[in-house]
Amino acid sequence: MTPGPIATGKKKIAFPRVADYSGVFRYWVEQCLDQTYILQPKCTHHTLEVGARYSPDSVCTPFKTALGSMIEALDLGADTLVMSHGLCRLGYYGELMEQILRDLGYQFEFVNFAAYSTGRSKDLLKGVKQLAPKMKAARFLTHVMDGVKMCAYIDDITSKYYQNCGFDPSGTYRAAFKRFLRAMDMVHSRPEIDEAYREASYAFAQAPLDKPERPLRVGVVGEFFTVMDAFSNLDLEQTLADMGVEVHRWMNVSNRIFHYPGEKNLNVEIRDLCTYEMGPTSTATIWAARKYARRGFDGLIHVKSAGCTPEIDVMPVLQTIGREEKIPILYLTYDVQTGEAGLMTRLEAFYDMLAMRKEVL
Amino acid sequence: MEHVYLGIDVGSISTKGAILDKENKILSSAYIWTRGDPIGAVKELVGRLEKTFNKKKYQIVATGVTGSARKLVGTIVGATMVKNEITAHAVGTTTFYPQVRTILEIGGQDSKIILVENGVAVDYAMNTLCAAGTGSFLSSQAKRLGIEVEEIGQYALQSTHPTQIAARCTVFAESDLVHKIQMGYPREDIIAGVCNAVAANYLNNVGKGKKIVSPVVFQGGVSKNAGVVAAFEQMLGCQVIVDENGHLMGAIGAAILARRGNTRQVFDFSIEDVEFHTREVSCSGCSNHCEVVCVYRDGRLIDSWGNRCERGAVKA
Repeated sequence: MTPGPIATGKKKIAFPRVADYSGVFRYWVEQCLDQTYILQPKCTHHTLEVGARYSPDSVCTPFKTALGSMIEALDLGADTLVMSHGLCRLGYYGELMEQILRDLGYQFEFVNFAAYSTGRSKDLLKGVKQLAPKMKAARFLTHVMDGVKMCAYIDDITSKYYQNCGFDPSGTYRAAFKRFLRAMDMVHSRPEIDEAYREASYAFAQAPLDKPERPLRVGVVGEFFTVMDAFSNLDLEQTLADMGVEVHRWMNVSNRIFHYPGEKNLNVEIRDLCTYEMGPTSTATIWAARKYARRGFDGLIHVKSAGCTPEIDVMPVLQTIGREEKIPILYLTYDVQTGEAGLMTRLEAFYDMLAMRKEVL
Repeated sequence: MEHVYLGIDVGSISTKGAILDKENKILSSAYIWTRGDPIGAVKELVGRLEKTFNKKKYQIVATGVTGSARKLVGTIVGATMVKNEITAHAVGTTTFYPQVRTILEIGGQDSKIILVENGVAVDYAMNTLCAAGTGSFLSSQAKRLGIEVEEIGQYALQSTHPTQIAARCTVFAESDLVHKIQMGYPREDIIAGVCNAVAANYLNNVGKGKKIVSPVVFQGGVSKNAGVVAAFEQMLGCQVIVDENGHLMGAIGAAILARRGNTRQVFDFSIEDVEFHTREVSCSGCSNHCEVVCVYRDGRLIDSWGNRCERGAVKA
């Protein structure tokens, strides 16, 4: 048994682990709401195994990871679980998750933001009040903005990292990135956040890069969770980068949530490919895929979890893009059983193909 | 001594080897079953290659390994080049058929399609999640019908009226097949139906959304099956080229890639007499429990892989 946190009279709140953003949730819970956050360890095979054991078989893989993550948090002593709303099946996941966990015999408070997401911030605030009844508005607002800034920093550093770490023989990028992410899990205040970001940016800027003039550039697009979460996509971006590829990914929390250009603004650029919105990230996936293709990228990789309907719908459109823009696209589907060997074969072959193609064309 | 190059392709069902000279001439080749023992198969393969190989005249200076057991076998034979099977097949085929536009490949457990433009692969697809319509399906159905897998093609060509067999999924195809057998249809028609199902399944799954342009080259173990070749020709409406060495193309590609590579190491035929074994170790560094594979040569650790961080590293 791992000893639980010291009794403080505060709620012990947990949220599933999502990519590298756990520090942001922790910051919000501890700074905005003045409660305790239970930060579970990074996802491992154990997380997925436990999650898959208690999940319906046909549900998409992110649910299984999230459920496993919730169970790990409960085992660490969490007493309040939070689940987000969602624009696809994710919207129902909170309810399902709560039921499964209650059937397993866990005692906890459950705050499902799907129930408060009406589009009005007044309703959203009701959900927040559930977590911290005595919350002070001024404190809440400033610290919420700190968290948004944290997301922006994380996304900026992550994006720079995967674009360049494949060309960094000294390993400075890797070390600085690791340090930065660890700092993001521990920060308490805005100056600390800014300091960590400055430090990482400085380290990146100082690292001598051995980058060819026209490196292979690959755009990674796809389903929100799997494309961002390195555990779920079996370290796709790092693997590509290590082969010597400049990896670009538009999809992240800042771009999709806080600074989303808006359905209309994206759709207008891809009107010839699709008329309607097909799911939470479909428009963005198609838009980003075509943008990469037109900017002369060497290849695209489409990532989704097994059973993700919106992203399956996107695939025919991507095939059209591949044909029209003459760009190779690799389609990857991740499931609980996905073996690393099969992924490596496909990625190596994709890399070889792009490299040989670039030499000739 | 003339420098030559060895390529080895260790697949799930069969193990292939070819020795090539500078002009891509095959000096020696072998094709044997893997039988679930890649290490034993490679040793046997090396033994067979050695018999037909003139050691006095030639010297193997580079070795390429491909196929699903490439990493393990690469460690054992001391390969200078370890490449995935897609690249190996593409390189091998485009060397012999520079004009090729589409490569169809059906192996024991996987199937792939490679589209080629100007002699370079521009797009590929590989079967995902399911081994329907591959060689292992054909061999299990051959067993059910009481014939050898090599005979399927001859039977299929005798049929004038192939039966319809569901092509979507191996499980459905199999129950369909059993049904047709119990209905008393002639064996030739059923076998021809199976061949059609394999081709249709391939085009519907792997070839989905891909524009198949002639010239088409078909290879992999299943390309030796005349029934499937005929089915492809009928469905695609164009000639399908099957090279007499099509089943060796992965090994040939690996040898060519080894020659193009920069590393040179003389191949040692003595691995036949060396004892290799692998052991799986579950790392206890964290709850991820990475499976670390350790390869031993005569009881001494020579390589290990499978750990996701340095905590699980096993030093050779």
